[in-house]
Amino acid sequence: MINYQRARTIVGVLLLSWLYGCATPQTQFLLAMPSQNLASRVELLDVPFYAQELHQCGPASLAMALNAAAAQVTMEKLSEQVYLPGRQGSLQIEMLSATRRNGYVAYPLAPKLSDVLAEVAAGRPVVVLENLAFNWYPFWHYAVVVGYDLARQEIILRSGLEARQVLPLKTFEHLWARGGYWAMLVVPAGQLPATANEADYMTAVVALEKVSNLSRAEAAYRAGLQRWENNLTAWIGLGNVRYAQGDMQSAEQSFRQASLRHPESAIAYNNLAQTLLEQQRYAEALVAVAHAISLGGDAQAAAFATQAQIKSLLDKDGLAKECCAISTHD
Amino acid sequence: MNAKIMRMTSRMLMVSILSLGLPFHAANAAIIGTDKVAAAAQIHTERERIRSFLERAEVRQQMQAQGIDANSADARVNALTDQEVQQVAGKLDKLTAGGDVLGIIFTIFIVLLFTDILGVTKVFPFTRSIR
Repeated sequence: MINYQRARTIVGVLLLSWLYGCATPQTQFLLAMPSQNLASRVELLDVPFYAQELHQCGPASLAMALNAAAAQVTMEKLSEQVYLPGRQGSLQIEMLSATRRNGYVAYPLAPKLSDVLAEVAAGRPVVVLENLAFNWYPFWHYAVVVGYDLARQEIILRSGLEARQVLPLKTFEHLWARGGYWAMLVVPAGQLPATANEADYMTAVVALEKVSNLSRAEAAYRAGLQRWENNLTAWIGLGNVRYAQGDMQSAEQSFRQASLRHPESAIAYNNLAQTLLEQQRYAEALVAVAHAISLGGDAQAAAFATQAQIKSLLDKDGLAKECCAISTHD
Repeated sequence: MNAKIMRMTSRMLMVSILSLGLPFHAANAAIIGTDKVAAAAQIHTERERIRSFLERAEVRQQMQAQGIDANSADARVNALTDQEVQQVAGKLDKLTAGGDVLGIIFTIFIVLLFTDILGVTKVFPFTRSIR
């Protein structure tokens, strides 16, 4: 004889645990098998709190993360950089670009809760996108993770008007999953995220360089090279930044390193040739650019242009012309 | 007569291209930018440069349509990487923007109250989820 009451209870429990359980796989995994390296309880008390204005959770969250990294920037200034009045909100892409505009590396994290907690444990608050409501009826919101407690299965955020919002880890995973697991770090130039990987870090620094924060980009490339000393992008980036600052000798050293470690890189040879040209070492420049041209590929057109530039400064005997200061790079 | 028409057309073309303000400066291809290294050595062809330029112009316009003044729109577009501009172009009014107001109607209000308590959503600050 089936005991219907018991059957109902079991089904009810199964349903509820399905609702709780399967829906939050990352939390489950994290709690079941915590990493030995992850502290069980962290709270970053020094992260400042900025209560958001209506719709301005983006500027508020950025203000918290940037000022925690010693930026000294106001919510109002950030609002001009990320807030879209017509959308009554801020785009994720602009959260990244505004971070860069303020001179910091904007590092999007992998969609892993363990990475978010690892970064917090390393002392950095994490900006997250949450959908507080449903997939079919969303309520998008940015908040800042500042702590967690694995034993109590809780996570601590600065969110909206709450300086200290405590959520069950499972609830947070629901909200964060619905937001596409988006999270970003604000990293001072010269430091590395705890969970950094080579490719993503370099992408982030190249993006910073593009916003012309030269000395910051230089610090970021050098930090990357300390960890990944063979990275081609970092050597070229370092050279380019030094070139842009007018330091030809240092730029030359960087491009030489790039070409030594990556002899297949036409870009390294081309840029090396350019720095030699600017130092009026035309014979060496011609050798380098010839090498770049011989490597072919997409850089060849640029290399030909560099070669033409060098040759224009030499007379028919291959000696430097008396006139003609070289055009300054732009 | 044909020659006259051709001359007019090319003049109009020139005017329209110039009015775009395209950067047709002599290619200072000397130093190759760092973003070309990471992008699998993909150098911008002239066509790609034009496309990127036009996409930026489009995003700038869309930002202004969303209520930003021209100078800010300029600065904000210039802070985006080429990849980011590509992702945003044409979609500015559709991408997720954190900060949207939840226009609550009563039935949704009750549902959200319930799911807040269950800990599946977290719309109301006054709910405390059971565990």
